Amino acid sequence: MFNTKDGFLEATVRGCVGGFLRTEDYSNLQQCETVEDIKLYLTSTDYGSLLQNEASPTHPSLIVRCCLKKIVQDFSFFDLVKAAEPLSTFLQYLKYGYMIDNIVLMVTGAMHEREVTELLDKCHPLGMFDSIASLGAVSNLRELHRIVLVDTPISAYFGECFRDENLDEVNIEILRNSLYKAYLKDFFRLSQMLGGLTAEVMKEILCFEADRRAVNITINSIGTELSRDDRQKLFSDFGHMHPEGQRDLALCRDFEQVVSVIVNSTYQNILQKSTSEEMNIDKVFYETEVMKCSSMFAQQFHYGIFYAYLKLREQEVRNLMWLSECIAQDQKYRIVDGVISIF
Amino acid sequence: MSTTNRLNVVPTVTVLAVVKNRLIGAQRGYKLLKKKADALSLRYRQILKKIVQTKLSMGENMKSASFAWTEAKYVGGDGIKHTVLDSVDGKAEIRVRAYADNVAGVKIPKFNACGSGSLIGASGGGSGETGTTTATTESKSELTGLGRGGKQIQKCKKAYKEALQTLVELASLQTAFLTLDQAIKTTNRRVNALENVVTPRLENTVSYIKGELDELEREEFFRLKKVQAKKKKDAKEREEKEESLSKGEGVVKGEGGSGAGPVGNLIDFANEKDEDLLF
Repeated sequence: MFNTKDGFLEATVRGCVGGFLRTEDYSNLQQCETVEDIKLYLTSTDYGSLLQNEASPTHPSLIVRCCLKKIVQDFSFFDLVKAAEPLSTFLQYLKYGYMIDNIVLMVTGAMHEREVTELLDKCHPLGMFDSIASLGAVSNLRELHRIVLVDTPISAYFGECFRDENLDEVNIEILRNSLYKAYLKDFFRLSQMLGGLTAEVMKEILCFEADRRAVNITINSIGTELSRDDRQKLFSDFGHMHPEGQRDLALCRDFEQVVSVIVNSTYQNILQKSTSEEMNIDKVFYETEVMKCSSMFAQQFHYGIFYAYLKLREQEVRNLMWLSECIAQDQKYRIVDGVISIF
Repeated sequence: MSTTNRLNVVPTVTVLAVVKNRLIGAQRGYKLLKKKADALSLRYRQILKKIVQTKLSMGENMKSASFAWTEAKYVGGDGIKHTVLDSVDGKAEIRVRAYADNVAGVKIPKFNACGSGSLIGASGGGSGETGTTTATTESKSELTGLGRGGKQIQKCKKAYKEALQTLVELASLQTAFLTLDQAIKTTNRRVNALENVVTPRLENTVSYIKGELDELEREEFFRLKKVQAKKKKDAKEREEKEESLSKGEGVVKGEGGSGAGPVGNLIDFANEKDEDLLF
């Protein structure tokens, strides 16, 4: 049953996996002396076709742009193939995260009276939708909801978070995170609805994502004016740390407390190698995500691999960004701090 | 000691006094300017040392700042850039204030970075104040990257703030350096001019006037000697004449009477005049 409907796309994704940079690629890339060398090396990989026509003075941002293009290319292919019903919705859901970012970007841009075209350039290509350009014209949340978002899937999330509040009164970051929380919840609901293996693997990864967000929000809101209740409101309603861990996180006042909360949760094993650096926590989470994602490829007949593919691509972009920035800034000894090899 | 290297003055005693006064003035000015030049070059060297230090730390700061940005991008994704950009409200959070510092009478411009709060900024300089003002403005952007990368953004912000501080300091030092350089050049030129042109010229003038006065005195002395010698000679002649006159009065009576009368008168006249001169 699965193969008749979604077999082709699954095979395509599995084919794309071969395009990831491998551990030996990363070790080779670490030997590069200049960004130009990185570019040269990457032309022999899947990025070759995107990189070869670029002009010579290479900047790290160019490499990042090309990697992003790669993701967009792959996903536009998925769109092109026109997946059968449950999968097509699933694929759309993958993009909602970017959509939220884009909407928030447009709204903040509009509040600061910036040019709409200029803002559109900044938007993430995966999160584009038809009516996004008209976002620049809105002035309050209700209008935003009524005119623009009503056709988009995001509208439900808006309705869930903010009913009558004025746009200016809501902190844009809280808005973003509330939207994201609603999105995660909805995605979780969808994957559970799909049932079977998909539900199983997606539950695992989405719980992880929810927990990571909770931890990140906690770490980033330490020492800010964000109140304890507000903080807890931003946490997702599911996840391995729900509800006890989240309650503890909401009470945290410094980094050590966060660490101890994590150690008491299901994530005790991932924190073992981490020290007290904030950077390391992020890296540990990324590593765990990569691990979980690549293990998804071990199983067949589920949609999780699309999610995993996207996340791994994101990580690869991060890797290359980190690598090329390190080399461009002559900080090669820091490379190991950021690069997580995927396979 | 050529005639060109002195003032064109009439060699008199009054002028000598005037020139001597000027010489003393020049010497005092030279000493003062020399002190000023020394003070300036002392400061100059201090600033030079500081510039080298600041430049070195500048490299470090910039490096760590741009790396902090890389870290933020790594954690927060590339899109975080726009979030940060959009949360800027067009008001400069750090302003540079310029004021003048006084070193040995030379006004040296100095820059000071201070926070946007104009009240706090006006209350005094120093880097301590920036800490207090940023705390008030931070609350607006502190939630940036709440979902991911917030800590890194704050770190990046701090790093760039430090880099900016160093940059302002460096600019201040560089400007001070240039101004001091100019001032030192001018002062040194003045010192050298006083030392090598004005003072020797005045000294030459003094010695010239002294020489001229001596010359006059010697001339006078010589003239007096001459006059005295002439007087002595005349007196002797007269004595001799009187002697011979008294010996053979009868023989040259008519002759002597008619000839010696005006001569004697002349001598008498000269004598009287000499007396006048002598006294």
